[in-house]
Amino acid sequence: MKTEDLIAALAADTRPGPAPWPGVVQALMLSLPLSLVAMLAILGLRADPAAALQPLVALKTLLPLGLGALALAVALRQVRPSAPVRALARLLWAGPVVLGLAALWVLATTPPASWAMQFTGKGVLVCLVSIPSLAILPLAGLLWALRRGAALDPAGAGFAAGLAAGAFAAALYSAYCMEDSPLFYGTWYTLGVLTVAALGAVLGRRVLRF
Amino acid sequence: MTNRPQQEDWDSLMHAALDGDAPAYARFLRAVTPVLRGVVLSRGRNEFGQAGCEDILQEVLLAIHLKRQTWRREDPIRPWLYAIARHKVIDAFRARGRHIALPVEDFAEVLAAPPDEDPLEARDRDKMLGLLDGRSADILRAIGVAGESVAETAARLGMSDGAVRVALHRGLKRLAELRERYLE
Repeated sequence: MKTEDLIAALAADTRPGPAPWPGVVQALMLSLPLSLVAMLAILGLRADPAAALQPLVALKTLLPLGLGALALAVALRQVRPSAPVRALARLLWAGPVVLGLAALWVLATTPPASWAMQFTGKGVLVCLVSIPSLAILPLAGLLWALRRGAALDPAGAGFAAGLAAGAFAAALYSAYCMEDSPLFYGTWYTLGVLTVAALGAVLGRRVLRF
Repeated sequence: MTNRPQQEDWDSLMHAALDGDAPAYARFLRAVTPVLRGVVLSRGRNEFGQAGCEDILQEVLLAIHLKRQTWRREDPIRPWLYAIARHKVIDAFRARGRHIALPVEDFAEVLAAPPDEDPLEARDRDKMLGLLDGRSADILRAIGVAGESVAETAARLGMSDGAVRVALHRGLKRLAELRERYLE
């Protein structure tokens, strides 16, 4: 087939494929409710939901929600060639910065004897297993949707997708988790989310290549 | 040195293309092809020859085609086009075992290259077409090589226009995948 012939065939294929972002919305609308149901069925809500209204407790839900949305926006730009992505991606550092400040606040206002207890809590393992588990479906859905895009940096796009999936999973998990100290969630939630992001990068490298 | 051919407005051609204007899309592809060919030849002529470079060019065109929904109409087309083409050229060279540097500015400065006049080297590419399933290859050949319209092909094969379009789209997607796999 000569190039001119290929061009004729390409021109006849007049309908472009679907854009990534509607797929991203669909993927999350399907996967997040499933993760929520799994979370409620297996873990359940915390015994004292009202406690989640205190600022440092609300932070462990609201911060992942915000970072998840931001990571999603980054992922969508990652699959749009020539879209400016760096400045937006840099905003993600707001997450660790806020968590660091919250941890400093705790160190300044609570007795040192309580720090170790706050840090290890009682549920490190549950946390480190639950967040990635709840993130699997959303991550799969996001990667599927992002395949419609054109990722010039497949691992980076996968990382952003994993960050988004992990952060949303952490927000869900926070409705169960009774460990309310930033020393706990700032460490272990972050570790759980980064695990998912790393998985996203590894998978993205394979499935987002084009 | 710049040797820009009279450039049609690529942005509005792609606009029309996304609205389903096939002639405008063909004009767009014909306008960008010499530039892309120039870039590919400038890096790969010695190693892969005209024919090999034409193969790479076709891979780039397929990628642009299959990912054109990622261009947003409010953006200028060139940065998008050059970004995706650069990625695909580097990828195609790497798949052939060669790592190249390709600054995006080269796309704006390259000498546009006309098509190679020797039609003999089309054999390899036809082999690729042969790997498609019969119907897709048929449709690709009819529309691409024989210059039939979708409607004519549909009438001849006793299919609906829509079915021909779907088969054509699948065929092109498959062709892009096959080229990738063929090299690995």
